[in-house]
Amino acid sequence: MADPQPTSDSTPSGGPNAPRPSRAQAFRETLSELTRLDGVRGGLIVTPDGLVITSELPPRFPVEALAALAATLGRELELGASRLERGAFRTALFSADDGTVFVGGSPVGYVTVVADRNVNNEGVRTALGRAVDRLRGTWRTPSV
Amino acid sequence: MGLATFLERTWSGITGLVKPRSASSLFRLADQYRHEGRYEDAAELITEGLRVSPNIAVGHLLDAYLHVVFREMPAAKASFRRVLALDPYHPRALFGLARIALEEGDIEGCRPFLDRAIQYFPDFPEAKALQEMVATWTAPAAGTSSAIGTISTERLRLPPGAHDLVLTHADGTLVFAQGSEERQKHLGLHMTQVYRIASATLARAGLGAMRRGVIEGAAETTFLRSDGGVILGVALAREVEVGAGLVQVGRLWTDLNIKA
Repeated sequence: MADPQPTSDSTPSGGPNAPRPSRAQAFRETLSELTRLDGVRGGLIVTPDGLVITSELPPRFPVEALAALAATLGRELELGASRLERGAFRTALFSADDGTVFVGGSPVGYVTVVADRNVNNEGVRTALGRAVDRLRGTWRTPSV
Repeated sequence: MGLATFLERTWSGITGLVKPRSASSLFRLADQYRHEGRYEDAAELITEGLRVSPNIAVGHLLDAYLHVVFREMPAAKASFRRVLALDPYHPRALFGLARIALEEGDIEGCRPFLDRAIQYFPDFPEAKALQEMVATWTAPAAGTSSAIGTISTERLRLPPGAHDLVLTHADGTLVFAQGSEERQKHLGLHMTQVYRIASATLARAGLGAMRRGVIEGAAETTFLRSDGGVILGVALAREVEVGAGLVQVGRLWTDLNIKA
Protein backbone atom coordinates (compact mmCIF):
# COMPACT_ATOMS: atom_id res chain seq x y z
CA MET A 1 0.00 0.00 0.00
CA ALA A 2 1.44 3.31 -1.06
CA ASP A 3 1.74 6.14 1.40
CA PRO A 4 -1.17 8.56 1.23
CA GLN A 5 0.02 11.43 -0.89
CA PRO A 6 -0.58 15.01 0.04
CA THR A 7 -3.00 16.68 -2.29
CA SER A 8 -1.74 19.89 -3.72
CA ASP A 9 -2.54 22.43 -6.31
CA SER A 10 1.08 22.85 -7.22
CA THR A 11 4.33 21.10 -6.69
CA PRO A 12 7.37 23.31 -6.37
CA SER A 13 10.12 22.19 -8.63
CA GLY A 14 13.41 23.55 -9.79
CA GLY A 15 15.24 26.45 -8.14
CA PRO A 16 17.38 26.33 -5.04
CA ASN A 17 15.15 23.81 -3.28
CA ALA A 18 15.28 21.25 -6.07
CA PRO A 19 16.57 17.85 -4.95
CA ARG A 20 20.19 17.15 -5.70
CA PRO A 21 21.85 13.76 -5.61
CA SER A 22 23.04 13.24 -2.06
CA ARG A 23 21.82 10.73 0.48
CA ALA A 24 19.45 9.14 -2.02
CA GLN A 25 22.34 8.50 -4.38
CA ALA A 26 24.52 7.22 -1.55
CA PHE A 27 21.73 4.83 -0.50
CA ARG A 28 21.46 3.38 -3.99
CA GLU A 29 25.21 3.00 -4.41
CA THR A 30 25.58 1.44 -0.98
CA LEU A 31 22.94 -1.17 -1.66
CA SER A 32 24.20 -1.86 -5.14
CA GLU A 33 27.67 -2.70 -3.81
CA LEU A 34 26.16 -5.25 -1.45
CA THR A 35 23.88 -6.91 -3.97
CA ARG A 36 26.85 -7.48 -6.29
CA LEU A 37 28.47 -9.83 -3.75
CA ASP A 38 28.49 -13.55 -4.53
CA GLY A 39 25.51 -15.39 -3.09
CA VAL A 40 23.48 -12.27 -2.40
CA ARG A 41 19.98 -12.40 -3.88
CA GLY A 42 19.05 -8.81 -3.15
CA GLY A 43 18.41 -6.26 -0.50
CA LEU A 44 16.74 -3.08 0.57
CA ILE A 45 17.28 -0.03 2.73
CA VAL A 46 14.33 0.85 4.90
CA THR A 47 13.85 3.73 7.34
CA PRO A 48 12.77 3.09 10.94
CA ASP A 49 9.21 4.03 9.97
CA GLY A 50 9.21 1.35 7.27
CA LEU A 51 9.69 3.50 4.18
CA VAL A 52 11.66 1.70 1.49
CA ILE A 53 14.38 4.10 0.39
CA THR A 54 15.77 1.77 -2.23
CA SER A 55 15.48 -1.92 -3.02
CA GLU A 56 17.06 -4.43 -5.34
CA LEU A 57 15.08 -7.62 -4.93
CA PRO A 58 13.91 -10.23 -7.41
CA PRO A 59 10.33 -9.63 -8.60
CA ARG A 60 8.90 -12.50 -6.54
CA PHE A 61 9.98 -10.95 -3.26
CA PRO A 62 7.21 -9.24 -1.25
CA VAL A 63 9.07 -5.95 -0.81
CA GLU A 64 6.52 -4.10 1.34
CA ALA A 65 6.03 -6.98 3.77
CA LEU A 66 9.76 -7.58 3.98
CA ALA A 67 10.35 -3.87 4.61
CA ALA A 68 7.86 -3.81 7.48
CA LEU A 69 9.51 -6.82 9.09
CA ALA A 70 13.04 -5.51 8.47
CA ALA A 71 12.22 -2.17 10.08
CA THR A 72 10.64 -3.92 13.06
CA LEU A 73 13.65 -6.21 13.42
CA GLY A 74 16.07 -3.31 13.09
CA ARG A 75 14.29 -1.38 15.83
CA GLU A 76 14.28 -4.39 18.16
CA LEU A 77 18.01 -4.85 17.61
CA GLU A 78 18.61 -1.16 18.35
CA LEU A 79 16.44 -1.18 21.45
CA GLY A 80 17.95 -4.41 22.76
CA ALA A 81 21.49 -3.09 22.35
CA SER A 82 20.49 0.04 24.23
CA ARG A 83 18.61 -1.71 27.05
CA LEU A 84 21.39 -4.25 27.55
CA GLU A 85 24.10 -1.57 27.25
CA ARG A 86 25.91 -3.42 24.48
CA GLY A 87 26.84 -0.34 22.51
CA ALA A 88 25.19 0.72 19.30
CA PHE A 89 23.83 -2.09 17.16
CA ARG A 90 25.88 -2.47 13.95
CA THR A 91 25.10 -5.65 12.06
CA ALA A 92 23.30 -8.94 12.50
CA LEU A 93 22.78 -12.10 10.55
CA PHE A 94 20.07 -14.73 10.91
CA SER A 95 20.44 -18.01 9.09
CA ALA A 96 17.87 -20.63 8.18
CA ASP A 97 18.08 -23.88 6.23
CA ASP A 98 17.71 -22.14 2.87
CA GLY A 99 19.52 -18.86 3.33
CA THR A 100 20.54 -15.95 5.49
CA VAL A 101 19.20 -12.47 6.18
CA PHE A 102 21.70 -9.76 7.14
CA VAL A 103 20.67 -6.51 8.82
CA GLY A 104 22.81 -3.41 9.26
CA GLY A 105 21.77 -0.56 11.52
CA SER A 106 22.38 3.15 11.01
CA PRO A 107 20.65 6.35 12.04
CA VAL A 108 19.25 6.65 8.52
CA GLY A 109 17.71 3.20 8.62
CA TYR A 110 18.37 -0.48 8.16
CA VAL A 111 20.18 -2.24 5.35
CA THR A 112 18.71 -5.69 4.77
CA VAL A 113 20.41 -8.26 2.57
CA VAL A 114 18.92 -11.60 1.54
CA ALA A 115 21.51 -14.25 0.68
CA ASP A 116 21.85 -17.90 -0.28
CA ARG A 117 22.62 -20.63 2.22
CA ASN A 118 26.25 -20.94 1.18
CA VAL A 119 27.09 -17.26 1.16
CA ASN A 120 30.35 -16.12 2.72
CA ASN A 121 28.93 -14.84 6.03
CA GLU A 122 32.11 -13.09 7.10
CA GLY A 123 32.53 -11.43 3.72
CA VAL A 124 28.97 -10.07 3.62
CA ARG A 125 29.16 -9.02 7.25
CA THR A 126 32.35 -7.07 6.58
CA ALA A 127 30.85 -5.39 3.52
CA LEU A 128 27.70 -4.62 5.48
CA GLY A 129 29.80 -3.02 8.19
CA ARG A 130 31.36 -0.75 5.57
CA ALA A 131 27.90 0.07 4.21
CA VAL A 132 26.68 0.97 7.68
CA ASP A 133 29.66 3.26 8.21
CA ARG A 134 28.89 4.96 4.93
CA LEU A 135 25.27 5.51 5.89
CA ARG A 136 26.36 6.91 9.24
CA GLY A 137 28.52 9.34 7.27
CA THR A 138 25.54 10.52 5.23
CA TRP A 139 23.65 11.16 8.48
CA ARG A 140 26.39 13.47 9.72
CA THR A 141 26.61 15.24 6.36
CA PRO A 142 24.08 18.03 6.01
CA SER A 143 21.51 16.93 3.48
CA VAL A 144 21.77 18.88 0.25
CA MET B 1 2.49 39.01 -27.70
CA GLY B 2 0.84 42.31 -26.87
CA LEU B 3 2.17 44.65 -24.22
CA ALA B 4 -0.83 44.00 -21.94
CA THR B 5 -0.33 40.23 -22.13
CA PHE B 6 3.39 40.61 -21.53
CA LEU B 7 2.80 42.79 -18.44
CA GLU B 8 0.12 40.44 -17.17
CA ARG B 9 2.40 37.42 -17.45
CA THR B 10 5.30 39.26 -15.87
CA TRP B 11 3.17 40.41 -12.94
CA SER B 12 1.74 36.91 -12.54
CA GLY B 13 5.27 35.53 -12.49
CA ILE B 14 6.41 38.02 -9.85
CA THR B 15 3.42 37.41 -7.58
CA GLY B 16 3.83 33.67 -8.10
CA LEU B 17 7.39 33.91 -6.80
CA VAL B 18 6.45 35.67 -3.60
CA LYS B 19 3.11 33.90 -2.96
CA PRO B 20 3.27 31.78 0.20
CA ARG B 21 3.22 28.12 -0.59
CA SER B 22 0.12 26.22 0.44
CA ALA B 23 0.33 23.67 3.25
CA SER B 24 -0.40 20.85 0.84
CA SER B 25 2.44 21.90 -1.45
CA LEU B 26 4.76 22.09 1.56
CA PHE B 27 3.72 18.61 2.63
CA ARG B 28 4.16 17.24 -0.86
CA LEU B 29 7.68 18.60 -1.06
CA ALA B 30 8.40 17.37 2.46
CA ASP B 31 7.32 13.88 1.47
CA GLN B 32 9.59 14.06 -1.56
CA TYR B 33 12.50 15.06 0.65
CA ARG B 34 11.68 12.25 3.05
CA HIS B 35 11.94 9.75 0.21
CA GLU B 36 15.34 11.21 -0.62
CA GLY B 37 16.58 10.99 2.96
CA ARG B 38 16.54 14.78 3.38
CA TYR B 39 14.93 14.54 6.79
CA GLU B 40 16.03 17.87 8.22
CA ASP B 41 14.70 19.75 5.17
CA ALA B 42 11.47 17.76 5.33
CA ALA B 43 11.05 18.56 9.02
CA GLU B 44 11.30 22.30 8.37
CA LEU B 45 8.64 22.14 5.67
CA ILE B 46 6.30 20.07 7.83
CA THR B 47 6.64 22.50 10.73
CA GLU B 48 5.84 25.36 8.38
CA GLY B 49 2.93 23.47 6.80
CA LEU B 50 1.38 22.62 10.16
CA ARG B 51 1.77 26.22 11.27
CA VAL B 52 -0.23 27.33 8.23
CA SER B 53 -2.77 24.49 8.39
CA PRO B 54 -2.74 22.57 11.66
CA ASN B 55 -5.69 20.34 10.78
CA ILE B 56 -4.36 18.44 7.80
CA ALA B 57 -3.94 14.76 8.64
CA VAL B 58 -1.16 14.13 6.16
CA GLY B 59 0.94 16.85 7.79
CA HIS B 60 0.71 15.15 11.16
CA LEU B 61 1.40 11.80 9.52
CA LEU B 62 4.60 13.10 7.95
CA ASP B 63 5.50 14.68 11.28
CA ALA B 64 5.04 11.28 12.96
CA TYR B 65 7.20 9.56 10.35
CA LEU B 66 10.05 11.99 10.94
CA HIS B 67 9.80 11.56 14.70
CA VAL B 68 10.18 7.81 14.14
CA VAL B 69 13.22 8.39 11.94
CA PHE B 70 14.72 10.53 14.71
CA ARG B 71 13.68 7.85 17.28
CA GLU B 72 11.42 10.30 19.11
CA MET B 73 8.76 7.73 19.88
CA PRO B 74 6.56 9.63 22.38
CA ALA B 75 6.34 12.53 19.90
CA ALA B 76 5.68 10.08 17.05
CA LYS B 77 2.89 8.46 19.02
CA ALA B 78 1.32 11.86 19.73
CA SER B 79 1.45 12.80 16.04
CA PHE B 80 -0.07 9.49 14.94
CA ARG B 81 -2.86 10.08 17.45
CA ARG B 82 -3.43 13.56 16.00
CA VAL B 83 -3.90 11.93 12.59
CA LEU B 84 -6.50 9.57 14.05
CA ALA B 85 -8.28 12.49 15.70
CA LEU B 86 -8.75 13.93 12.22
CA ASP B 87 -9.26 10.62 10.42
CA PRO B 88 -10.09 7.72 12.79
CA TYR B 89 -9.46 5.03 10.18
CA HIS B 90 -6.23 6.32 8.73
CA PRO B 91 -4.37 3.07 7.92
CA ARG B 92 -0.86 4.50 8.16
CA ALA B 93 -1.50 6.08 11.55
CA LEU B 94 -3.01 2.84 12.84
CA PHE B 95 -0.02 0.93 11.49
CA GLY B 96 2.41 3.41 13.04
CA LEU B 97 0.81 3.02 16.45
CA ALA B 98 0.84 -0.76 16.05
CA ARG B 99 4.58 -0.72 15.41
CA ILE B 100 5.25 1.49 18.42
CA ALA B 101 3.14 -0.80 20.63
CA LEU B 102 5.13 -3.75 19.30
CA GLU B 103 8.49 -2.22 20.15
CA GLU B 104 7.14 -1.36 23.60
CA GLY B 105 6.40 -5.08 24.04
CA ASP B 106 2.66 -4.41 24.16
CA ILE B 107 1.49 -7.23 21.91
CA GLU B 108 -2.12 -7.02 23.06
CA GLY B 109 -2.10 -3.29 22.39
CA CYS B 110 -0.59 -3.80 18.93
CA ARG B 111 -3.20 -6.21 17.58
CA PRO B 112 -6.29 -3.91 17.56
CA PHE B 113 -4.41 -1.26 15.55
CA LEU B 114 -3.41 -3.82 12.92
CA ASP B 115 -6.90 -5.34 12.85
CA ARG B 116 -8.52 -1.93 12.35
CA ALA B 117 -6.05 -0.95 9.64
CA ILE B 118 -6.70 -4.14 7.69
CA GLN B 119 -10.44 -4.10 8.34
CA TYR B 120 -10.80 -0.81 6.52
CA PHE B 121 -7.92 -1.23 4.08
CA PRO B 122 -7.55 -4.94 3.23
CA ASP B 123 -4.82 -4.28 0.65
CA PHE B 124 -2.13 -3.37 3.16
CA PRO B 125 0.76 -5.87 2.89
CA GLU B 126 2.90 -4.28 5.62
CA ALA B 127 0.10 -4.48 8.19
CA LYS B 128 -0.77 -8.01 7.08
CA ALA B 129 2.86 -9.09 7.52
CA LEU B 130 2.89 -7.84 11.11
CA GLN B 131 -0.60 -9.18 11.79
CA GLU B 132 0.46 -12.65 10.67
CA MET B 133 3.65 -12.37 12.70
CA VAL B 134 1.95 -11.51 15.99
CA ALA B 135 -1.05 -13.80 15.46
CA THR B 136 0.57 -16.71 17.30
CA TRP B 137 2.49 -14.71 19.86
CA THR B 138 1.55 -15.12 23.47
CA ALA B 139 2.88 -13.32 26.50
CA PRO B 140 4.83 -15.73 28.72
CA ALA B 141 2.87 -16.87 31.74
CA ALA B 142 4.30 -15.40 34.92
CA GLY B 143 6.08 -17.93 37.06
CA THR B 144 5.85 -20.69 34.46
CA SER B 145 8.17 -23.49 35.45
CA SER B 146 10.67 -24.63 32.89
CA ALA B 147 10.76 -28.09 31.41
CA ILE B 148 14.53 -27.99 31.54
CA GLY B 149 14.96 -26.70 35.06
CA THR B 150 17.82 -24.95 36.72
CA ILE B 151 21.08 -24.95 34.81
CA SER B 152 24.45 -25.07 36.48
CA THR B 153 26.90 -22.94 34.51
CA GLU B 154 29.79 -24.71 36.18
CA ARG B 155 29.47 -27.77 33.96
CA LEU B 156 29.22 -25.66 30.82
CA ARG B 157 32.25 -24.95 28.65
CA LEU B 158 31.72 -21.20 28.76
CA PRO B 159 34.29 -19.40 26.58
CA PRO B 160 36.47 -16.77 28.28
CA GLY B 161 34.62 -13.49 28.60
CA ALA B 162 31.26 -15.08 27.83
CA HIS B 163 28.31 -13.52 29.61
CA ASP B 164 24.59 -12.88 29.33
CA LEU B 165 23.97 -16.58 28.73
CA VAL B 166 20.23 -16.92 28.21
CA LEU B 167 17.88 -19.76 27.38
CA THR B 168 14.21 -19.14 26.67
CA HIS B 169 11.33 -20.96 25.12
CA ALA B 170 10.10 -19.52 21.84
CA ASP B 171 6.93 -18.34 23.61
CA GLY B 172 9.06 -16.13 25.83
CA THR B 173 9.13 -18.29 28.93
CA LEU B 174 12.54 -17.79 30.46
CA VAL B 175 14.41 -20.97 31.33
CA PHE B 176 17.66 -19.48 32.50
CA ALA B 177 19.63 -16.26 32.26
CA GLN B 178 22.72 -14.81 33.87
CA GLY B 179 22.72 -11.52 35.73
CA SER B 180 20.35 -9.61 37.95
CA GLU B 181 16.64 -10.23 37.86
CA GLU B 182 16.10 -7.07 35.84
CA ARG B 183 18.75 -8.05 33.32
CA GLN B 184 17.40 -11.59 33.05
CA LYS B 185 14.01 -10.13 32.19
CA HIS B 186 15.46 -7.85 29.49
CA LEU B 187 17.60 -10.66 28.07
CA GLY B 188 14.70 -13.09 27.86
CA LEU B 189 12.33 -10.59 26.27
CA HIS B 190 14.93 -9.36 23.78
CA MET B 191 16.03 -12.83 22.70
CA THR B 192 12.42 -13.90 22.22
CA GLN B 193 11.50 -10.81 20.22
CA VAL B 194 14.59 -11.05 18.02
CA TYR B 195 13.91 -14.73 17.38
CA ARG B 196 10.26 -14.12 16.54
CA ILE B 197 10.82 -11.16 14.23
CA ALA B 198 13.88 -12.69 12.55
CA SER B 199 11.95 -15.93 12.01
CA ALA B 200 9.08 -14.03 10.41
CA THR B 201 11.53 -12.14 8.19
CA LEU B 202 13.32 -15.32 7.10
CA ALA B 203 9.99 -17.03 6.43
CA ARG B 204 8.74 -14.06 4.41
CA ALA B 205 11.92 -14.25 2.32
CA GLY B 206 11.23 -17.95 1.75
CA LEU B 207 14.33 -19.14 3.60
CA GLY B 208 12.84 -21.28 6.38
CA ALA B 209 13.02 -21.20 10.16
CA MET B 210 15.76 -19.39 12.05
CA ARG B 211 18.56 -21.66 13.27
CA ARG B 212 21.45 -19.34 14.06
CA GLY B 213 22.00 -15.66 14.66
CA VAL B 214 24.86 -13.24 15.19
CA ILE B 215 24.26 -9.72 16.52
CA GLU B 216 27.23 -7.38 16.44
CA GLY B 217 27.16 -4.45 18.83
CA ALA B 218 29.79 -1.78 19.33
CA ALA B 219 31.03 -3.52 22.49
CA GLU B 220 30.34 -7.23 21.98
CA THR B 221 28.77 -9.84 19.73
CA THR B 222 25.80 -12.02 20.66
CA PHE B 223 25.46 -15.51 19.19
CA LEU B 224 22.11 -17.29 19.01
CA ARG B 225 20.97 -20.78 18.29
CA SER B 226 17.46 -22.19 18.09
CA ASP B 227 15.63 -25.34 17.11
CA GLY B 228 12.25 -23.64 16.98
CA GLY B 229 11.42 -24.65 20.53
CA VAL B 230 14.07 -22.92 22.57
CA ILE B 231 16.52 -20.08 21.95
CA LEU B 232 20.03 -20.04 23.36
CA GLY B 233 22.06 -16.83 23.40
CA VAL B 234 25.45 -15.81 24.69
CA ALA B 235 27.52 -12.61 24.39
CA LEU B 236 31.19 -12.90 23.44
CA ALA B 237 33.94 -10.41 22.76
CA ARG B 238 33.33 -8.36 19.62
CA GLU B 239 36.54 -9.64 18.01
CA VAL B 240 35.28 -13.25 17.90
CA GLU B 241 34.72 -14.28 14.29
CA VAL B 242 31.31 -15.48 13.14
CA GLY B 243 32.41 -19.08 12.57
CA ALA B 244 34.24 -19.38 15.89
CA GLY B 245 31.36 -17.85 17.82
CA LEU B 246 28.84 -20.19 16.25
CA VAL B 247 31.05 -23.14 17.18
CA GLN B 248 31.12 -21.89 20.78
CA VAL B 249 27.35 -21.53 20.99
CA GLY B 250 26.99 -24.96 19.36
CA ARG B 251 29.18 -26.42 22.09
CA LEU B 252 27.02 -24.82 24.77
CA TRP B 253 23.95 -26.20 23.00
CA THR B 254 25.45 -29.70 23.26
CA ASP B 255 26.47 -29.22 26.88
CA LEU B 256 22.94 -28.20 27.79
CA ASN B 257 21.60 -31.30 26.02
CA ILE B 258 18.64 -29.24 24.91
CA LYS B 259 15.41 -31.00 24.17
CA ALA B 260 12.69 -28.56 23.24
